[in-house]
Amino acid sequence: MPDPNLFRLRVEYCKKGRLSMLSHLEIARALERAVRRADLPFAVSQGFSPHMKIAFGSALPVGVGSTCEIFDLQMTRYVAPEKALAALRAASVPDLMPHDCRYIGPRDAAASVVYPVASYQAELSFALEGGLPLPEEVHVVRKKKEKTLKVADYLVGQLATEGAMVTFELEAKPTGSLRPDVLLNACIDAFNATRPEVQEPLHIVSITRTTQRASR
Amino acid sequence: MRKMTDLWPRLEPLLRDAERPSRYLNHEFGCVRKQDADFAFCMVYPDTYELGQANQALRILVNVVNASENLCAERAFLPAPAFCDVMRREHLPLFSIESCAPLREFDAIGITLPHELAATNVLETLDLAGIPIRSEDRSENDPFVLGGGPCAYNPEPYAPFFDAISIGEGEEAVPEGLHLIRRMRQEGASRGDVLRALAREDGWYVPSLYRWRSEEEAQEAGSWIEPVEPGLPTVIRKRLFTRFAESNGWELCIVPYAECVHDRLNVEVLRGCARGCRFCQAGMMYRPVRERSADNIVESVLTGLAETGYDEVSLTSLSSTDHSQIADILTRLNKALDGKGVRISVPSQRLDSFGVDMAGLVAGQKKGGLTFAPEAGTQRLRDVINKNVTEDDLFGAIDAAFAAGWRRCKLYFMIGLPTETDDDIKGIASLAQRAYDRAKAAVPPEQRGSIRMSVSCALFVPKAQTPFQWDGQIAPEEAIRRVNLLRHSVKHKAVDVHWHDPETSFVEAVMSRGGREAARWVEAAWKRGARFDAWTECFDEQAWRDAADEAGIDPAVIAQTEYPVERVMPWTHISTGVSSRFLALERRRAQEGATTPDCTFGTCTGCGACPDLDSENMLAAVRMLSGSSASAAAPARGEE
Repeated sequence: MPDPNLFRLRVEYCKKGRLSMLSHLEIARALERAVRRADLPFAVSQGFSPHMKIAFGSALPVGVGSTCEIFDLQMTRYVAPEKALAALRAASVPDLMPHDCRYIGPRDAAASVVYPVASYQAELSFALEGGLPLPEEVHVVRKKKEKTLKVADYLVGQLATEGAMVTFELEAKPTGSLRPDVLLNACIDAFNATRPEVQEPLHIVSITRTTQRASR
Repeated sequence: MRKMTDLWPRLEPLLRDAERPSRYLNHEFGCVRKQDADFAFCMVYPDTYELGQANQALRILVNVVNASENLCAERAFLPAPAFCDVMRREHLPLFSIESCAPLREFDAIGITLPHELAATNVLETLDLAGIPIRSEDRSENDPFVLGGGPCAYNPEPYAPFFDAISIGEGEEAVPEGLHLIRRMRQEGASRGDVLRALAREDGWYVPSLYRWRSEEEAQEAGSWIEPVEPGLPTVIRKRLFTRFAESNGWELCIVPYAECVHDRLNVEVLRGCARGCRFCQAGMMYRPVRERSADNIVESVLTGLAETGYDEVSLTSLSSTDHSQIADILTRLNKALDGKGVRISVPSQRLDSFGVDMAGLVAGQKKGGLTFAPEAGTQRLRDVINKNVTEDDLFGAIDAAFAAGWRRCKLYFMIGLPTETDDDIKGIASLAQRAYDRAKAAVPPEQRGSIRMSVSCALFVPKAQTPFQWDGQIAPEEAIRRVNLLRHSVKHKAVDVHWHDPETSFVEAVMSRGGREAARWVEAAWKRGARFDAWTECFDEQAWRDAADEAGIDPAVIAQTEYPVERVMPWTHISTGVSSRFLALERRRAQEGATTPDCTFGTCTGCGACPDLDSENMLAAVRMLSGSSASAAAPARGEE
């Protein structure tokens, strides 16, 4: 539960271009440094290892970009959102650029859980005549354990293909989530398996998270 | 800006399957791509981005070259081993970070030699870049391949691979050398003519212009090198950056995305150390000692933190607690950074200067482990190496640290120092155990379980340009016997012993003491697959052994032979400013167990660096001794 005496600033930013290849940890470190460079009045935790009170949204895999990432920063005093945004933008690189700042209430859900549903747009290496085959299950390895995820548990609606563009929506569950790149690669593997070997295999050119929202 | 090939479109698809693609991306905060230059230089660290990005030489030289008219500088690193193989398979040459341009399209590349295990990586770098590995095989269209860094003080094992080597500090020498190359190339001079001119510039060594003599000739002539034409210097004196003290401690610095070693703001507070430890190469080669002022340092730290957004700053140097104003600096920084969650770290703590005061000054922050380096287990041997710290210094430091809240301490020792006996080895165990007991006594009973005391030992490597350069290294088998003796002598379960693989230290000794013939060994080892030798999991002992047979040299003779001080060593033509006579005198004092004081705390000890380099120690204030050195020095001062 955040300290009610602190101001909670929610910042929305993009992850694009080459920097789509950064990991969640690398992004977190880069954002923290941008906040420090922006000289915002961030709060610092007490205790053995003092650190900035900052919370990040749900992790994006390496290689997946976004137009709508968020982090929450707790601040010791109020700074007008447009001023905070201007300071952050001046301290940020173009491919990790913040575009919105607003205050949220002390009881609002944290950045990591507020938006369980996210939509993605992917570009494939060539246009498809029909759609992509959608497997019923996807096998993933987590902490050396193999796990089978039912696609229907996570996919909201359909996987829509138009030429080389694919769009779909995934919902994170309290028990876990299905990564967009893992789902798409499973579809592509199934597609490639149906084609003769002499043909160039299909692969992903880019994946971008385009919106994030609460569950209905 | 010269037009160079952009390899990014070819690199990008390969990064999909690469481990940690952030190493290869560029676009870090603070990186510069200078546009208005017609001469491009690429500074290379011969290991991965994670290990090299924070390297001081890289930062300083890229900045200083970018600040020079007409010159621009970029960075390059070796990819991780697996990605080196992918690049070879895809015929993708080694590229710079900023422009993603092939190294071979640059006018000059500079490779720093940070330690003795980087030699095969130099060859890996050149080969991956598509540049012939030997200077003699390069054509007019190849870039000039320049070297420098700590290992350049014995350049011979690298000599055939470099066109020219910069000896000493590069702040002024490197831009000067690049300007000369640029001007002469624009005038249409040949590669050979440029190198002949560069060889006449202060601090530049062009190995191809000197014939390597035989052992007999060298001992007779007093030098291993013979100029192939008149007018070449026969001694290459190091360059000294005399404006270090007044130069700004803050300079532009890149903030990486990938997690790197030393990923923090690094502010160099002083350069050089005159403590005079007889095994230490850095202590001989960076003389005289130069301190930046407290005002400069405090301002640099605050500016640097604001500009970079780092949450940690390290006050770097060979011995930061020796700074005459260290207490003032830490007090001011602690006050200015209070409540910001910024950690201030002071590396290379000396035992005799880590008392209650210092513990208090660096205690406000997160307490990681503390590292101290007694280096030897008995006072006799510490006197031999001129370490000038006592058991009481160690125990005082332990008392202060554990009372101030530290719970982990690492003690560094060397095995195989000259004159070492089994008693000295047992002394390490005894010292560590008593240190543990002291730590226990300084900590409340309920917290004693969390105390960790570890002993870390490395095999002594005789380094060129030190008083111990004439002393041999013990054989790896003997090193293992002594390590085992140490392990069996440690009875406390809470004291654990770690040691470095003696086989890699053996290669280090050969690289440190070898002449030009050692280059054949390096080349043969690399051709047999040796690379990334500093990575334990990559070190290929067999490749180095087989290479010795092929190169026709006996590396054990190079590493292990003990010589009289009269012997002309293979680096006699390279001068750090410290005289050979002083090194010989220091070696004799070592054998007698006599110590030599630090001139920055008292009078001149006659090492020769100041007169030879026409300079002197530059201290920000008077230095005051602490610990046992203070009590030892007190009566002497009274006599004056």
